[in-house]
Amino acid sequence: MARLFPIRHVIGYIFSLILSVVGLGVVFWDLNPTAGLWILIVCALIQASLQLVLFMHIGETDNKKSLYFNIAYALFVGLVTIFGTLFTMLWGW
Amino acid sequence: MKINDSLPLEYRTEENSNKIFGFWLFLGAEIALFSTLFAVYLTLWNRTGSGPTGKELFELNGVIWETFLLLTSSFTCGLGIHAMRLNLKKPMIVFFVLTLLMGLGFLGIEITEFVNYVHEGATLQTSAFLSSLFVLLGTHGLHVTMGILWGAGILIQVGRQGFTDETANKSFIFSLYWHFLDVVWIFIFSFVYMKGLM
Repeated sequence: MARLFPIRHVIGYIFSLILSVVGLGVVFWDLNPTAGLWILIVCALIQASLQLVLFMHIGETDNKKSLYFNIAYALFVGLVTIFGTLFTMLWGW
Repeated sequence: MKINDSLPLEYRTEENSNKIFGFWLFLGAEIALFSTLFAVYLTLWNRTGSGPTGKELFELNGVIWETFLLLTSSFTCGLGIHAMRLNLKKPMIVFFVLTLLMGLGFLGIEITEFVNYVHEGATLQTSAFLSSLFVLLGTHGLHVTMGILWGAGILIQVGRQGFTDETANKSFIFSLYWHFLDVVWIFIFSFVYMKGLM
């Protein structure tokens, strides 16, 4: 039975739950919006990385460099899309 | 056909490891897709017009359950792939069935949530905020729906044929998709619900 629950997966799951609870905390702790937003950003990024590394095994094959590069490029495109939009539409540039 | 026995079953033929690589490229495109939807939502989220704001609309209970179900289903999906690599068919099927059931639970809550919104007069046409919200959540929900159908199809094949190069490859690719949907949900949870309720 124990071998069906590898430690990496269990740790990943527990950390995901903890990070979600911390994310929930910003609603209950009455923080100022900037601090709350930073907590959300950090928690979301850690949790996404946990999924990629512990659950999706992004680093397990010989072409892992291509996979990292692919995800990094997609994130670059995504961030430029999001922040480019915010720059022009909301922040008045 | 060249077969590399040092790798897990789903990677062993060149065709199969190319399929896995190709699926990672697809996930890259999915990141770009969801980024555009987040960009629209983050631009329009306080353009509520005469409709409700996120703070008035969102219900914390449903969101907590959705998050818990999707996180846990991502965990059981990973355990299913682990069991597959140990060549244990029954546990793998049990874990995948649990994954899909939790996916259905998630969908049930999300559909109820949408119905409640519409009953409260918050429809796709009410405000820019609600249009962008429904499109973002709906696109994610549609992905979950497709994932459940796809996963069920793969389960039937694993049940009939056991673990072959092909069924193992399909199951692994499905697991990548399912984990990715959880990643998207983490961002929806944080930047739509928590940010909206803050």
